[in-house]
Amino acid sequence: MMFQYILRRLITSIPVLFGILLVTFALGRLIPGDPCRAILGEKATEEVCSRFIQEKGLDKPILTQFGIYISDMARGNLGESFRLGMPVTRLLIERLPTTFELSLAALIISMIFGVPLGIISAVKHNSWLDVITMIWANVGVSMPVFWLGLMLAYVFSLLLKDTPFWLPPSGRISPGIPDQTFYELWGWVVPETGLWSALLNFTGRLNIFNALITGNWVLLKDSIKHLILPALALGTIPMAIIARMSRSAMLDVLGQDYIRTARAKGLRWSSVIIKHAFRNSLLPVVTVIGLSFGGLLGGAVLTETIFGLSGIGRTLYEAITARDYGIVQVFTLAIAVVFVTINLIVDISYAYLDPRIRLN
Amino acid sequence: MTAEINLTPKLDAEELSSKSISMWQTTMHRLLRRRSAVAGLIILGVLIFVAITAPWVAPYDPTVSMLDNIPPQKIKARTAPCIHLLGCPKDQPQHFAGIDGNIRDQFSRLLFGARLSLMIGFSTVIFAIIIGTVLGALAGYFGGWIDNLIMRVMDVLLAFPSLLLAIAIVTVLGPGLINALLAIGIVSIPAYARVMRASVLSVREMDFVSATRSLGGNTYEILFKCILPNALTPLIVQGTLGIASAILDAAALSFLGLGAQPPTPEWGSMLGAERNQVFTAPHLVFYPGLAIMLTVLSFNLIGDGLRDALDPRLVHVSS
Amino acid sequence: MKRKFTVLLSLVVLASMLLAACGGGATQAPATEAPAATEAPAATEAPVATEAPIEPTPIPDIPIATFDGTSLSVPAEECNGDYIGAVQSVVATDANTVTFTLCRPDPAFLSKIAFSPFAIYPSEWLEATAGETTRTSEGLEKPIGTGPYMISEWKRGESITMVANPDYAGEQPAAQTLVMRWSTESAARLLELQSGTVDGIDNLGPEDFAVVEADPNLQVANRPALNIFYIGITNTFAPFDNVQVRQALAMGIDRQRIVDTFYPLGSEVASHFTPCAIPNGCTGDAWYDFDVDAAKALLTEAGFPDGFKTKLFYRDVVRGYLPQVSNVAQDIQAQLKTNLNIDAEIVVMESGAFIEASSAGSLDGIYLLGWGADYPHITNFLDYHFGAANPQFGTQSPTYTDLLVQGAQIGVPADAESIYVEANNAIKEFVPMIPVAHGGSGTAYRADVTNPQASPLTNEQFAFSDPGGRDTFVWMQNAEPISMFCADESDGESLRACDQVMEALYGYEVNGTATEPILAESCDPNEDLTVWTCTLKQGIKFHDGSDFDAADVVATFNMGLNIGSPMHVGNSNIWSYYDYLWGLMKKPGN
Repeated sequence: MMFQYILRRLITSIPVLFGILLVTFALGRLIPGDPCRAILGEKATEEVCSRFIQEKGLDKPILTQFGIYISDMARGNLGESFRLGMPVTRLLIERLPTTFELSLAALIISMIFGVPLGIISAVKHNSWLDVITMIWANVGVSMPVFWLGLMLAYVFSLLLKDTPFWLPPSGRISPGIPDQTFYELWGWVVPETGLWSALLNFTGRLNIFNALITGNWVLLKDSIKHLILPALALGTIPMAIIARMSRSAMLDVLGQDYIRTARAKGLRWSSVIIKHAFRNSLLPVVTVIGLSFGGLLGGAVLTETIFGLSGIGRTLYEAITARDYGIVQVFTLAIAVVFVTINLIVDISYAYLDPRIRLN
Repeated sequence: MTAEINLTPKLDAEELSSKSISMWQTTMHRLLRRRSAVAGLIILGVLIFVAITAPWVAPYDPTVSMLDNIPPQKIKARTAPCIHLLGCPKDQPQHFAGIDGNIRDQFSRLLFGARLSLMIGFSTVIFAIIIGTVLGALAGYFGGWIDNLIMRVMDVLLAFPSLLLAIAIVTVLGPGLINALLAIGIVSIPAYARVMRASVLSVREMDFVSATRSLGGNTYEILFKCILPNALTPLIVQGTLGIASAILDAAALSFLGLGAQPPTPEWGSMLGAERNQVFTAPHLVFYPGLAIMLTVLSFNLIGDGLRDALDPRLVHVSS
Repeated sequence: MKRKFTVLLSLVVLASMLLAACGGGATQAPATEAPAATEAPAATEAPVATEAPIEPTPIPDIPIATFDGTSLSVPAEECNGDYIGAVQSVVATDANTVTFTLCRPDPAFLSKIAFSPFAIYPSEWLEATAGETTRTSEGLEKPIGTGPYMISEWKRGESITMVANPDYAGEQPAAQTLVMRWSTESAARLLELQSGTVDGIDNLGPEDFAVVEADPNLQVANRPALNIFYIGITNTFAPFDNVQVRQALAMGIDRQRIVDTFYPLGSEVASHFTPCAIPNGCTGDAWYDFDVDAAKALLTEAGFPDGFKTKLFYRDVVRGYLPQVSNVAQDIQAQLKTNLNIDAEIVVMESGAFIEASSAGSLDGIYLLGWGADYPHITNFLDYHFGAANPQFGTQSPTYTDLLVQGAQIGVPADAESIYVEANNAIKEFVPMIPVAHGGSGTAYRADVTNPQASPLTNEQFAFSDPGGRDTFVWMQNAEPISMFCADESDGESLRACDQVMEALYGYEVNGTATEPILAESCDPNEDLTVWTCTLKQGIKFHDGSDFDAADVVATFNMGLNIGSPMHVGNSNIWSYYDYLWGLMKKPGN
């Protein structure tokens, strides 16, 4: 039954995928202006530009371009970035780990603080803790991310300079820190191309993961230090959302009759919460967590810009303003695919957690 | 047997509308009992007042430099706020929120910005609600391939993070406030479509609808008179919260330079223009950010309050 | 039933996509492909065979140069034919002498030859790193030069690490390691400087100067303003076709106010288009004074007593000549309204689109643009903008276009002065644009950094600065270099990175614009400045240990100029500077 449900969901995702392809292609082509001067600088001459357009295939009719686009995507030939002169695949593999790490860290922060706060304020409904939490949560949801990021940088990088609490204001890693990837260290032979190579390169660039499995504690400490501020800034809004969501879900559950029954039966309050209330309030929280992750992945543009991180959000935004078609299409597609995948996973875990849904 | 049944659609409508009025009254009553919602309403009230009276309350013109003022003020750009009540010497001209990068009074710009933000919030949400409810109603009511098609299109829209999609749409259409509003509106449609569709689906099978249909009531009457009022509740809640996120998104777009164009005094673009001066002229970043936050907060609080006030289950609990 | 239909439809869509991928691909593969030798795509490679494109391809240019290892030349008679390039030949007359023969006299030769993209590479390395259509990644990321630093590692998106060259012919750099980093936010750069994680930063924000000056641990280095910010006017559109309207605009804008309010210390109001530091730059009459009444009178005379409506175009990109773009635009808009009752609607354009439209002269209104010196010569400023072939301002006046052609032939600046006096006056009279400011910018360093650099040409060379005794110098600039193969790069951030490891025949002095011999002992011209003979320094080695000699110089110029050479590959393959300053060695095809 689970399997049928999964299959159903997968199949309905296919037309969505096609739609995404169409939209990303259209966006890449509809952006107005001349890519030549944007990329080559204002001193590029007419002649130089016409050669540029010819080389990059931008003079063929639109339908042909779309056909080329789909066949390239299907074959894994994701094109090149005009500006940076390298295949987009390589860019994706280089930049995705940054955003992935950042988003994961932000999500973890938001869950670790958001869920307990929400539950506690639901349990202690209308107490001063509840009021404060809700005020803070509401403020958090209404605050511009950018401002928060700069304030955090100001406090931790400037005011706390020369203290043990100092945190670096930008970048992912301090220059000079050894960050040999695990496969290099263990002497693995990495092929030039292919899925395996991409996977290895991707995981090798996840600094914290890499540091953990190679036992490189210097790298671990340095990476975490660099990650704290951006993750805090990015995670505050999801934290507030999750806190509110888990609080209201918990309140809903606590208002149910079966909870009152459990208490009437004499069960300890804490075990009532943990065994009965928590699991049942999990559903909406899972949805919010899943959706937040997708939003984090793409919406980290501002955070990545302030903290000087070269992740896919910022790269995509720069590519949009520079009309770097290669990057725009592929990165938007990648983000959309990730988002859809996460929704899928969320739906499936939803179905797992709530039997009523998969039986529907 | 048919003669015994006296219900007509007209009567139904009357009963519903009289029920509606008292429902609104109870809703307002319950809303006002929540302190956070009251706080939100107060803030919103202040905002609306400011937005309406800005031309008279603002001490200066928001787009005129102090150098062109009559009389001209020789002030440096990005001067900190000077409030006579708080100790600023009387010979310096008073500027409650300081001076911006173009030697304009920031306080006046903040006041005029309220108009813009409120207009942005309401117009995008109204646009999205109109289109979203039509699509959702069609999808829910007719079902079948119409439902599938519309919902798949909504899924495609939802497959992209909203800010990124809005950025992409604005980049295609060109920067500007109207295009930004369009972009945010488009990105917001799926939420309302889903809400409407869910309402339609839940109501569609209810007895009174089948009854109306069997008595010969046509599609549109059913939609408007039976289904729509029921869908109104979640739509209103979603809409209020939607205004909050629309204002945030518009601020983000203007911050990135894609929304309101200079010299329009929009809070997001004011923040964005001065973002690198956060340490040297923090008042230029603090006040617009605070304004955005308070506005968004008020709508969030009101939306939360409405949601609780309109929730039938809580009605059950409290009574 | 409905569900089965959906499933069927989805499968059909999927199948058609797969078919398009596999079947359609063979005939629709794009003409260029990522080179197989370097980063091949993650899955299988597309077939390289192409089908005839649907539109006629532009006819390729004809390579006309020949290269045999020590001599690169085009046939001498081509100089009078279709060939528009400047270089006729580059010949290694012996192991330590290179002779450049030009088609036309070039008084600016030394200034040009010192420019970063013309740095000398080893000939064997050029061959080894030449890929099919681009340079190999080794070539793009680890260039081999003769400079004081060598590339150790480039962590894309993070930093570039360089180490001192132990065999450097000149003085050893004070810091053993040089690290270049970047951030687009001026506030972030300042924060890093203040917290001590970097030693120097570029482009201080407008309010940051005061902060740095007040901090005893930091110091400012002002960068002289070798640039110009101007308001372009496209005079093919009414009402700007009337010279009185343009003159009214020139007098109706308070440029001093703009400079005072929006520009940092070291900036000045432009009295002429060219900065005074350039010989003959500000000869002739200074620009109009700010005079609102006279301006209004002129406007009335021209038929616009109540002003008119127009558009003000700009791109939101910070440059040394325009550090606060949007603020300046809003001030100009406000001034036009207040002083002349002209309603200028602000239109922000995307950078590339803006450059294209402004260069073609298609913006119907006024626009904000500027220019930073490529090399310190007046031809780089005036000839580029006020030459007869430039459509940027609409129509140009033959009065000054003719004068400029004359002036470009004269070698000694003093001799050309009278010509440039007339030319500058003619430009002022005609008002093709309004020069506003020469924009200074600033770098900042930690207080203990010796010889803090802020080069007017933005080519700081950190080998000459000592980071307070520390053995690593960390520099933070605006953006990441695009590639380290600078022969075909044009962006300043890349060129600065290359400047640390590469050297050309001549170079610019630290913090200045005067040229001094670097790899050459000297380059001496003949009587009419058409033949330049460069005697090379001896005993210099490249980073890989190979010897530097005349063949490397010829090979480098072969790589840059000879479109027929397999070495003529780079990153973007857009040889902007080789093309613009020397002209590539080719003829248009027909």
